[in-house]
Amino acid sequence: MTTGLQLEGLHKELGGRTIVENLSLDVATGELVCLLGPSGCGKTTTLRMIAGFLEPESGRVVVAGHDVTSLPPEKRPSAMVFQNYALWPHMTVTKNVAFPLRLAKRPRAEIAERVAKVLELVNLTHHKDSRPGRISGGEQQRTALARALVQEPAVLLLDEPLSNLDAKLRVRVREDIREIQQRLGITTVMVTHDQDEAMAMADRIAVMNDGRIEQVSSPQELYSDPQTEFVATFVGSLNKVEGRLEPHGLTPEAGLTSAIRPEAVAVVPASSDGALDAEVVRVTPHGHFAEVKVKTLGEVELVSFVTGPPPAEGDQVGVRLGEVWRFRDGKRVR
Amino acid sequence: MRTLVKVLISLFMFLLAVFIVGPLVWLASRAFAAEWRYPDLWPTGFTLRWWRVVVDDPMVVVALQNSATFASLTVLISAAICLPAAYAFSRYQFPGRRFMLVALFAVNAFPKMGLFVALASLFYALQLMQTVLGVLIVHVLGTVVFMTWIPAAAFSAVPRSLEEAARDAGAGPFRVFWSVTLPMALPAILVAAIMSFIASWDEAQGTYLVGAPDYMTMPTQMYSLVLNYPSQVSAVFSILLSVPSAGLLLLVRKQIMGGQLAEGFQIK
Amino acid sequence: MSSDPDAGAPVAGAVDDDAPAAAPTSAAATGTLTNPRRVRHRARVRSLRGLLMASPPLLLIAAFTGFPIVLAIAYSLGHTGGLNSTTALIAQHQHVKTEWWGTLGAYREVLTNERFQRDLRVTLLVTVVSTTVVLALALIIALYLRLAGGWAAKALTVVSVVPMFIPVVIASWAVLMFYAPDGFLRSLFAQVGLEGPTFGYTVTAIIIAQVWCSLPFAVLMCASGVQAVPDALIDAARDSGAGLVRTTFSVILPMAFVPIVIAATFTAIGIIGSFTVPYFTGPTAPTMLGVDMANYFTAYNRPQQSIVMAVVVFVAASLIAVTYVWANFRSSKESGA
Repeated sequence: MTTGLQLEGLHKELGGRTIVENLSLDVATGELVCLLGPSGCGKTTTLRMIAGFLEPESGRVVVAGHDVTSLPPEKRPSAMVFQNYALWPHMTVTKNVAFPLRLAKRPRAEIAERVAKVLELVNLTHHKDSRPGRISGGEQQRTALARALVQEPAVLLLDEPLSNLDAKLRVRVREDIREIQQRLGITTVMVTHDQDEAMAMADRIAVMNDGRIEQVSSPQELYSDPQTEFVATFVGSLNKVEGRLEPHGLTPEAGLTSAIRPEAVAVVPASSDGALDAEVVRVTPHGHFAEVKVKTLGEVELVSFVTGPPPAEGDQVGVRLGEVWRFRDGKRVR
Repeated sequence: MRTLVKVLISLFMFLLAVFIVGPLVWLASRAFAAEWRYPDLWPTGFTLRWWRVVVDDPMVVVALQNSATFASLTVLISAAICLPAAYAFSRYQFPGRRFMLVALFAVNAFPKMGLFVALASLFYALQLMQTVLGVLIVHVLGTVVFMTWIPAAAFSAVPRSLEEAARDAGAGPFRVFWSVTLPMALPAILVAAIMSFIASWDEAQGTYLVGAPDYMTMPTQMYSLVLNYPSQVSAVFSILLSVPSAGLLLLVRKQIMGGQLAEGFQIK
Repeated sequence: MSSDPDAGAPVAGAVDDDAPAAAPTSAAATGTLTNPRRVRHRARVRSLRGLLMASPPLLLIAAFTGFPIVLAIAYSLGHTGGLNSTTALIAQHQHVKTEWWGTLGAYREVLTNERFQRDLRVTLLVTVVSTTVVLALALIIALYLRLAGGWAAKALTVVSVVPMFIPVVIASWAVLMFYAPDGFLRSLFAQVGLEGPTFGYTVTAIIIAQVWCSLPFAVLMCASGVQAVPDALIDAARDSGAGLVRTTFSVILPMAFVPIVIAATFTAIGIIGSFTVPYFTGPTAPTMLGVDMANYFTAYNRPQQSIVMAVVVFVAASLIAVTYVWANFRSSKESGA
């Protein structure tokens, strides 16, 4: 496995504040890595450092073995799809897409051929002479993607590529992007704050918080084996309890947080074997499942997902606990 | 390479600063100069004598009064005529809207001097020569573009959703205008008012043709002053004439630098 | 048309669109369905109200610009009667109409006049050169502000806007003194024993003063236009491999095209019809047509010839104005999705 993109100890400060702190990340060739995190976590700053719009105070950006840290954006072998697409309104779709190739002084015939090919790839041939203002948001998005792909970049950068699309379109477009990315085998870094998006598209996800990467794992591993409290909380739903929670009870322990996913909390009939006594506090139906909040062990409230017929509010039930994670100072402990 | 660019930029800035500010400093310093002999870069001494000459002249006081009165009246009249139109251009669709916006611009296309000559025929016929009304008409004509275009752009910049929210909260149409639209457009209206005041304050050719010799304003006096007095006197006069417009413009410099003026000149 | 704000202006008080509609059917009141006739009626009322509110400045312009211009053009063709009779009474060297439509006598006289031809050339020269210089300076300043930013760029912009604060009469006078035979420029040269150039009372001084006076508006227009180009679009160009120069010419300038055209046309129109600047700073001859118009009217008592010159300048200015209108319409066509 060769390395498509290496970030080595990137450090960035803006206005005296540390935005990105000593960040390192390897992205394999053909891999799609998502930078996932809340707003202000430094993910966009990181992406802009890869593209060359920001210069890191220290650290290196290495693309396919070449150090590009000191190169301006126009000299880097990366291409970016901007959040608002950044299509030039005075150029047609074709001209927008052809612009990078014209800058690269490619022969006219080659430009025409490559543009036609990439427009076909993103299914935009019928709009090739339209101006960006006259096509839909999804089509603008595909134009922006085409403009990046036509450069045959060593690294493709996607900055919240789906955030301006409506919910239905988003699901379709993310499948399209993923499909094209895999077909072309193009190394890709994508920034998003939407965990569903990251889960659905990424080979690996780097969860960022406060300018640092908390964990880099496959989507599945991130969910089932979070290494920090932040990751466990940010990805999926989580019940959190102060102290040491165990299947048979809760022991107070200073500085220790226990956490359990709602799926690991099973609601069973009252006084079942090995179950804790509990009372149903609230039931929120979600269609194919219901979110059931119970109170147990005195004041501990836990949420469980129930797929069958849910109990009623006020019912006495039992809860059986599955895997419990424990965190001290935000780090996972045994 | 980088240092070369830096040097070139610094040089450009320096030359531009001299080009712009130089003539003003050169002129203003004359107002305090006793005598100035070529090729000295410095006068022989400083004095306030010339200020005395100007301030003691009753014609200056009259001109100042005339200028201030004409400019204030011009702004009020212009606002009353143009602001409703500005609102209509921004919020109503009606036949000929585009044509009317462009027609306002016709005032600028005909050369000012030619327009005044043309106006003179009409004013003779209507007996408006050497009347306050005649001078006011000339002044208001020069402000119509500012007073319509800039506020129209500002009204357009108030998001419809804000007005709708006020409507939704129970405000009637007039209340919406008074509490939401007008306050948001006010900075631009102020810019327009000040630009109009200054346009009137500075207007010289038309006032001279229509008003002279009965109604002399500061800028019209400047024409004769330059010919009849030593340069120090016109320097003092220049400062007196520039201070009000400079002061007023300083009030709205943020809006002007922020693009309110530029916004008004793009027909939408 | 979703909201229905009301300026509360006196002219609008006459029509009240909240009053019951004239539509005879009462179907609208019984259900939530909107009566199309009522909607159409309200749209008409709104349209009429807009027209009423917009009319006063137009009427003013029509009465005191449009009408006198038509009158003046009629006079220039030799129609000396009616409202033109007062002017015609005192005018000298008048061409009176020979046909029903008039005569081209005054035009023939002025257009073949060598002095007019020379001054027309000077007027056009000053307009073209000044506008070009103003636009170049304004664009340099605007681009520097956009691409470099920082206090130096801001200071540069502020300095370039200073002339806006100065009345044109004063500005012309100040520029004249600066470049006069005993002005700063020559004094500076004299310090090192050189004979400096005298620009005062030359066409060069006219151009210098025109540039001085026109710069603020052009800078504001260009800066606003260039500033409005979103960062992302500039970033996207650089990401595509464009350097600064290429980004400027392929993305920034085309996108700021309309404000730049507006800056150019307003500057040119202002200069071509100007009077004060050439009157103060320029030579007695040759000079710009604005000064000639004033001279023919007041000094030589030949208003007809003065009007002819105004018409010629007007034709030139109209050609420039067409560019402005075209640019505006082009922009709204482009942005309309």
